[in-house]
Amino acid sequence: MESYLEEIPSYVEKIKFIKETILSNIVLIGQVPSQTFNEARRADIFQERMADAQVDECSMDEFRNPIGVVRGTSDKKPPIFVVGHLDTFIDKEVDHNYTIIKDAVYGPGIMDNSAGIGILISLPEIFRKLGLRFESDIVIAGLIHSLGKANLQGIRRLLGAWKTRIRGAICVEGGELGRLNYYSDGIRRCEVECRISAEDGVEYRFKPNAILILNDVINRILTLCLPQRPRARVIIGKISGGFKHGIIALEGTLGFEIQSDSDQMVKTIFRDINDIVDGLSHEYQVDMKLKTISSVNAGTLNFNHPLVKSTVAIMKKLDLKPIAEPSGSELSIFLSQQIPAVTLGVSRGHNYHLANAWMEIEPMYRGIAQIVGVIKAIDSGVCDE
Amino acid sequence: MSRNWLERNTFHYSDFKDLRNLVEVKAKKNLRISLCLPTLNEEKTIAKEIVIMKSELMTRYPLLDEIVVVDSGSTDKTEEIAREYGADVYRASDILPHMEVFQGKGENLWKALYITKGDIIVYLDADIKNIHHRFVYALVGPLLLSDRIRYAKAFYDRPIAIGKNMMRATGGGRVTELVIRPLFSLYFPELTQILQPLSGEYAGYRDIFEKIPFPIGYGIETSMILDIYEKWGLDVMAQVDLEKRVHRNQDTKALGRMAFVILKTFLNRIEKLGLIEKKKEMFNEMIQYKLENDTYKPDIRQPADHERPPMISVPGYGERPASLK
Repeated sequence: MESYLEEIPSYVEKIKFIKETILSNIVLIGQVPSQTFNEARRADIFQERMADAQVDECSMDEFRNPIGVVRGTSDKKPPIFVVGHLDTFIDKEVDHNYTIIKDAVYGPGIMDNSAGIGILISLPEIFRKLGLRFESDIVIAGLIHSLGKANLQGIRRLLGAWKTRIRGAICVEGGELGRLNYYSDGIRRCEVECRISAEDGVEYRFKPNAILILNDVINRILTLCLPQRPRARVIIGKISGGFKHGIIALEGTLGFEIQSDSDQMVKTIFRDINDIVDGLSHEYQVDMKLKTISSVNAGTLNFNHPLVKSTVAIMKKLDLKPIAEPSGSELSIFLSQQIPAVTLGVSRGHNYHLANAWMEIEPMYRGIAQIVGVIKAIDSGVCDE
Repeated sequence: MSRNWLERNTFHYSDFKDLRNLVEVKAKKNLRISLCLPTLNEEKTIAKEIVIMKSELMTRYPLLDEIVVVDSGSTDKTEEIAREYGADVYRASDILPHMEVFQGKGENLWKALYITKGDIIVYLDADIKNIHHRFVYALVGPLLLSDRIRYAKAFYDRPIAIGKNMMRATGGGRVTELVIRPLFSLYFPELTQILQPLSGEYAGYRDIFEKIPFPIGYGIETSMILDIYEKWGLDVMAQVDLEKRVHRNQDTKALGRMAFVILKTFLNRIEKLGLIEKKKEMFNEMIQYKLENDTYKPDIRQPADHERPPMISVPGYGERPASLK
């Protein structure tokens, strides 16, 4: 491990030599709107850039995930995957024109995940600049249909169709530099829809209000006793409903996520919330349903797994402080298939999901060096044991 | 009036997407290409233009030989940022410093002729929010691939479908549709085929640019078209559809001042061509009004209307240091 570890800090300055290429890739891909289920244009650009970078193989899989392959020197070593999600939460109506100033790039979706994708499509050029060849093939994949209701279909389909063993994987996210995800929570993302008939019927003495009923659902969820072990929580993330200020709301939707490191606990909490919804639906005589939007299972690498240990060593070598948190992203799909994987962040950012999101440029070079270092670690065999 | 020009000399940027081919043709013809960005307080857009052009058209495909920023004296960080991202940055007043100093886009474009090396020069405004390298390769494409075309100009938003029944508005801005198009229709109907004569993005051979005068202000685009048309004819010109361009919008008063300068430039040109005779000199003040404390007050401006002579006539131009040729 030591031999490659020593080289890694020197990558930072070398990567700066191609900063225009990297920033250009981030901007050109980030300016293309790519809301979940509408990533086709961004996928095309990903593929074009891969072709331009003259990777050895460039294609779309059957699900239309764009893929570039940098061939390795050995045909016996399984491939290493480096992936990132192409979709964003940003509505296509938002102005997607990015701005570069001296030390920052501004633009909606830059941290989630244009910067990550910009780095992925720059990797072939970065390898060339650093003079790196790997034993394994490096499979660079942009993933469509990842976020929210898409429920990570892109990575599920990519891995579902991949017939040979995968040596290890890195999931690349725009932010935050220093993150080291090597375990994923079990997650169930849910919606409660409440609808009240617009007709005045005998069942209503007083017309109920969808927003107040959802408020009641929230209050009852908050009374649930969640254990400390296994770790569990419910995040109330979205609420919408109503028509105008002076009219009783006849429709409303509540979005929340159940997270736990135990899949069983996720199921138990889901059942409890379902009981709450059923009970209130009966009590108020309204049509209210709990729906699962997406779910992933919990998975983990041990902290002493060689991939985790090597990644920590690489980050420390670059003066980065590793921050371990669970991740519910593509990582969970790799881990559920026993493929050692980590999620890493590229740079520091601000206003992540707002139209004025921005990324600091200078930390990005260490973020990239870290990704290259982990590819080298996997190529040197840390996932083979 | 010949309408063939519109069909023969109108292109779409995708016609020139094969960058490898453009680079080969450029090498075969032994040409150098300079990109010039005139600036005045463009710190929000300049870096992106330089980064994308450098990455795509210098590193990836060596189509450009230099990126030059000519600045009118920005008070923001335009010059510092442009330098940081690798452009050659000049203060307009430092070029030909013995000459009287003027400020304006045309002044910067004219002075760029003195400090750039290219046989072909591409001029782009520096305030394009949706900048893409097509803005350069699509303008250079016709110049490289045709031996006839010497000057190419951009237009945007697919304004017209040629050869089909579908016709849409020509997509020009307000000054184009209310000032230039009526004037061209009255005096040079052929030139109405240029869909957006005021677009700020164009490219041409040095031997064209150095032989025409440059008004220092808003009149530059109008005079350039009229002068090229008069000296070499419409056939040396081309226009390229770059689809979408996002830039700052100007208010009506600012457009009024722009129209004033353009009208003046146009009238002076057609007088020189003997098409009209002015019985008396025109006034040189644009008078607008503003409401202040319930009183209408005149807002009088004297837009710059100085004109630089053809660069080839400037003493010392032919003897520039070899590094500038």
